[in-house]
This record gives sequence, structure tokens and C-alpha cells, in this order.
Amino acid sequence: MSKNNKQREETKSLEILIIDDNEQITKMLTTFLELKEHKCTIANDGKEGLSIIKENRHDVILLDLAMPEFDGYSVIQDLEENNMLKDHKIIVFTASTITQEELDELVKRGVTSYILKPIDIDVLHSKLIDTANL
Amino acid sequence: MTVTETVEEGMFQTENPIHELNRMLVRYDLTPNQAKVYLFLSKIGVKTASEISKALKIPRTETYHLLSTLQQKGVIFSVFGKPTKFNAVGLEESLEILVNNEKSRINELEAGKDSLIKLWNIIPKYGEEEQESQDNKFQSLQGRNSILVKLEQMIKESKENILVLGTEADFKRFYFTEFTELLNKTKSELRILTDHTPDTPHIFESVPPKKVKKIEDKNREDFCFIIKDDSEVIFFISNNKVKDMLAVWTDSQAFVTTLRSLFSLMWKKSHHINETDAESLLGSEITYEHRLREIEQEKMILNYLQENFKILETGGTKN
Repeated sequence: MSKNNKQREETKSLEILIIDDNEQITKMLTTFLELKEHKCTIANDGKEGLSIIKENRHDVILLDLAMPEFDGYSVIQDLEENNMLKDHKIIVFTASTITQEELDELVKRGVTSYILKPIDIDVLHSKLIDTANL
Repeated sequence: MTVTETVEEGMFQTENPIHELNRMLVRYDLTPNQAKVYLFLSKIGVKTASEISKALKIPRTETYHLLSTLQQKGVIFSVFGKPTKFNAVGLEESLEILVNNEKSRINELEAGKDSLIKLWNIIPKYGEEEQESQDNKFQSLQGRNSILVKLEQMIKESKENILVLGTEADFKRFYFTEFTELLNKTKSELRILTDHTPDTPHIFESVPPKKVKKIEDKNREDFCFIIKDDSEVIFFISNNKVKDMLAVWTDSQAFVTTLRSLFSLMWKKSHHINETDAESLLGSEITYEHRLREIEQEKMILNYLQENFKILETGGTKN
């Protein structure tokens, strides 16, 4: 195990909010993250996610962009309008066809980082820890 | 019976367009009989009170009263002579006068509002201070105007979302009103479910296509409701005719939640306007590639989990 990985393994348990309409992904991701001793909260649509964000504090938030009804962009817009976007560590987690300019624009607006699906699960884990420790 | 008398009698039969005009004039603050007399004079020309009374089968004393009121409103005038004869001002001018009369009345009401509130506040309250009732409230709304006022109030006060389910015919009934304008301008999240047809694209032209979906269910002709912020709803009981429109407003959480769930289900099932079945199947935002990437992601997590559980079962460790 490399030094970096060892450091990550020793990182404290994180409170992670996953906002994604794909129930398969949220369930499996939760199982994976709980194996890594993190605590997960799931929201299967943007509206529910937004209400959880406003009520509770999380170390990091994984936010899907393409969701029916209230999508990830709407979550970002709402937080932005309420000056709350920069108060949270949000990783956009998307399978959408999105340009680098659009991703950069999201980061410029206050999103912490982004991950494009599919991603290796260990890399995803590292990214979560790195973002939470920023 | 003369030809004129036959025409006069036939004018107000139900099938005649005059009957429809009569009905519409009632909306301009004329009573049905006032409208009848006005239209009679407009089409037939100068007549005495007695002739009008006879032709329209309205008692003579009532006819004098109607003529006097119409004169006060400024839509008919008398012609000097004995007996006095009456004639009507042109329809266009009359409508202008009636609209202005209504405007003046509204301005007077507006101006008197503050004095009325001041006066009300002077009167001491005799009962104990009552807390606002937490009970579910229901309000019956009859007629287009009272429904319209409530709808406009709901949209103005909305902070989160407005969900509308109704036929195109329902939207047409409110097309030239402030309701449509407010709906287009609302900052709340707007969603409209309707039986949109390509024949009338203008109805939703100012609403972003993403906010409108087409209902495929053909068995819901008179089903119409509007939900505000998941807390209030107006449900139409009868909306076939403008005059007989009847709706119920309520903040009953049980009622709102039920209709909200129904709306969500229908929204999920429906397509956006101009969307093909294939596009709908994949979701407007979700492309085929998108779905493939999601499946690939699912597979990667699943593989990891399977590998881990195998290791746990065999008591080994993962490298």
C-alpha cells in the first residue's frame, strides 16, 4: 500500500450525501462507502437533496446532474441564489455529455469538483476523501 | 303579425347569436333585461317604452326602470317627442363606456380601501385574541372572476412551485387574463400538464418547452387543478362554461398531497411537447451514451463489491 493510500485509509469517517436518481448506483455506492466506514445519506431527486443540504451538514456531497423533475443544475442554482453554494463541498457526479468549459464554469460558480461516470471506485473514494479534506 | 314583429320576437331565441351577445353583455355589468333592451334598440332602432315593453314581453313599469338605468349608464339616449322614444349608442362606444364605468368603480373601491381599514381599526375588539385556525380550510369559488382572483393571488404568493393540470380549453378560458401573464413570469418552478395539440401552439409559446408536458390520457376531459407550493390547491368541479365555472380552493394537506402525487405520476408518464417516443424513452436529458456510462458505473461498483464479499467469505484480504 502506498503512503498516500495508507493516509487515506486512516482518514476519519465521512458524512456523505449522495443525490442521484439512479437507485442502483446509490444503493451500491452506499454499501461500498459503508464498507469504508463512512456514513451515507441518499436523496433520489434534487428537491429532496436540496432540503437535506439545507438541514444538515455533510463533509462532501455527490451530486448527479441529470435527474427528472428537479435536476442537479437546479440544486446548484438554488444554493447559488441563497449564497450557500460555496458553503458546501459539492462534487458533480455525472454521466451526461458535458464539455470541459461547462465543467469549469460549474467550478467557477462554486462547485468544488467533478467526477465523470464511469470512474474506478477506488479513485472515486480517494476523490471523496481529498475533497472532504480541502 | 308584421315582419318587424316576427324579427323582434325571434331575436332573443336561444339559438340566435343575439342571445350569446346578451349573455356576454352581462359581464359588462348589465342585467340580462338591461342587455336585452339595449340590444333590441341597437338592432331595431328608435322605439317608445311601450313598444319595447310589448316586443320584449317585459312589464311596462320595469321597462321604464330599465330605460332609466341604461340612460344613466350612458348606453342609450332618449329622442325628444311625445311619447318619448329611445335609441341605443353604438356597440363599440357602449362597451367603451361600460368598461370605463367599471374602471371608475374599481378606482373608487381602491381609494376607499384605506379609509375602510382605518375605520375598522378604530373599533375595539371585544372578544379574546383568536389564534389563526389550524383547521383545513375550504372555499367554494363560483364564476370565472372569483376563480381568477384566487388563481392570481396563489401565483403571486408562490415561492416554490406551481403545478398546473388542465386541458387546452381550460387555458383558453384564461388566455387573455393576468393569470397567463403571471404564470409566464413566475420565478417559482412551473410545470404544466395538458392535452396540447399542434393546432394551437401559441397557447404555450412563452413557456419554456421543458416546463410543459403532454398528457396522453384521453379519459380526463374535465380534470383540472392547480397546486401552489405543495400547500394549496384549486380544484375545478365544473369548467365547461365560463358562467357556470365552479372550483374549490383548499389548504387541506391530505387533499394537496393526493393531487401532488397524482401530478408527479402523470408527469413521469408524460412526454414533453414535440418529443418523440424514443426521446421520451431515453429521457430528454438522458442520452443513450449517458445510460451506457451509468450502467458501466454500476458494473464497476458491483464488481468491487462482489470481489470484496468473496474475500470476506473466504477470510482473505484484498491487495
